[in-house]
Amino acid sequence: MAKSVIPIGPYHPLQEEPEFFTLTVDGETVVDIDIQIGYNHRGIEKLSERKTFDQSTFVIERICGICSTNHPFAYTRAVEDIIQVEVPERAKYIRTIIAEGERIHSHLLWLGLAGHFLGYNTVYMWVWKLREEILDVMEILSGNRNSYAMFKPGGVRRDINAEDIPLVIKKIDSIIPTLTRLKKAIIDDPVLHARLKGIGILTKQEAIDYCALGPTSRASGVARDVRKDAPYGAYDRVEWDMIVTENGDVFDKVVVRILEMYESIKIVKTCLQNLPDGEIDLNIKDIPPGEGIGAAEAPRGETFHYVRSDGTNRPARHKVRAPTFMNLPTCKTTVIGETVSDATIILAGVDPCYCCTERMAVRSIKGKKLYNGQDLIRLSQEKTETIKKKMGIK
Amino acid sequence: MKLPKIRELIEAIKALIVGPYTSKFPFKPHEPYPSFRGQPVYNPDKCVGCLACEEVCPADAIGHEDITDSLNPKRKIIHYTDTCIFCGCCEAACIADNEGIKLSNEFDLAFFDRKTAEESIEKDLQLCEICGAVIACKDHLKWIAEKIGELTYSNPTLYQSRLKSLGIIDENITSVLKDHGRSDRVKILCARCRRETTLTTV
Repeated sequence: MAKSVIPIGPYHPLQEEPEFFTLTVDGETVVDIDIQIGYNHRGIEKLSERKTFDQSTFVIERICGICSTNHPFAYTRAVEDIIQVEVPERAKYIRTIIAEGERIHSHLLWLGLAGHFLGYNTVYMWVWKLREEILDVMEILSGNRNSYAMFKPGGVRRDINAEDIPLVIKKIDSIIPTLTRLKKAIIDDPVLHARLKGIGILTKQEAIDYCALGPTSRASGVARDVRKDAPYGAYDRVEWDMIVTENGDVFDKVVVRILEMYESIKIVKTCLQNLPDGEIDLNIKDIPPGEGIGAAEAPRGETFHYVRSDGTNRPARHKVRAPTFMNLPTCKTTVIGETVSDATIILAGVDPCYCCTERMAVRSIKGKKLYNGQDLIRLSQEKTETIKKKMGIK
Repeated sequence: MKLPKIRELIEAIKALIVGPYTSKFPFKPHEPYPSFRGQPVYNPDKCVGCLACEEVCPADAIGHEDITDSLNPKRKIIHYTDTCIFCGCCEAACIADNEGIKLSNEFDLAFFDRKTAEESIEKDLQLCEICGAVIACKDHLKWIAEKIGELTYSNPTLYQSRLKSLGIIDENITSVLKDHGRSDRVKILCARCRRETTLTTV
């Protein structure tokens, strides 16, 4: 049978962000995949060099709408690495609270979308309703549902009011029962087992070879997490566990993300309860010439920033390495050998975030036969229906 | 299979009783949390027109325009709502006890015409009495004079501004003489004219 080529993109059917996948299929089975990125070049690194160190934080915050805290987190750590200072204890706790709150809402967002792609629109609606609680918490703490504008080199911009803390803890606690029910609903569901178990397997060795990061690597049994490996913020001051599973399939990626939310809730609560008193900002005036690096564990993996200063008040060079840049190539092993209807959820399994990644490449599009986004979601949802029918579940 | 279904049923019933999370916004006004970061609003009584907010704004959402050709020179400070990212840097940098510009709770900022997406305040501008160059806003000079206390009396620009604002000296008392020399030193001057008047009298 002749091979045919299915181009997906440049608008991703799932994540609504521009990229281009060329799937070469033999009948139903994917035999090759080619990934092209570079449709979302915004010149953020150059823009950051035109702003002062303080102002750059806001540009960097807008690299990504979902992990809008971890980019400034890594950046401010890089700037603090140039000056060689430690931020005040209270600032460290506030930073941790914001970063973990963001992890919860990012994982919830991904979980909802994954449910949607599989034809489980109830999960989608349910999870996104749950996410509203977290977004409200973030609004109380930072003043905005997203783009928190909390970080600055040397500390944080806003303090957390003591009178807000009980309400925030109450709101965070209120999502635990629903999350538990959701966890059971997903882990017990035989259709999801049939649909997600054993597909898109990334073995431990492959995860190491491809330098996979974050939940993608932790689902494959590689215990890799910046928060544990090189603790920053208040992560070494609170009790939490790294979630690692062994199988590396899409189901494990779901499980890792769900269980990680519990850890994040634990971290946020502990930090809020033990918030130390004191200053929140070092009021840094001058940044000496030098170079610094900073890393932060974003919801998708390690975000890495490099900043060079020449003694002026603007960065001379700023480099960003986002986690999806490392995670996306793993599709090369996970998608090949699977069916087209599984390809969408496997590609979504790494939680790709292109707006983070896209800064460098520019390439051309070549396509022969186009399945559009709706078609692929339909294929994916139809497969779930077929499995349901086979199992006799309505 | 039965058990998960019952569990999900609980959630469905709960959703029926509690209702949707979303509010009926256009029909029922939404009240944001007090800490919400909304539209920055100038306070004309507190703002001194120093432009610190323009200097720090990461999104270049604040600009200014000096109107000097009229009898009553004004500085117009403009905040562009469409460019603003509501970060609060302007409030944090405000020299007037962070009260010259303050983030409000206003979030309903949609507009049809982009040109209307701005708000501005006008502050009285102090011009150099010799060359007419812009020195600063009158309130800004007053603010400096109050900040530095008796040191004000080492600088005629500052103490004259202060005495004028207190109504102690007449508006036109010093502008009669125009010799660009020694007598001009006791006038409200820009930095360049001050240097020149000082040098000519050596």
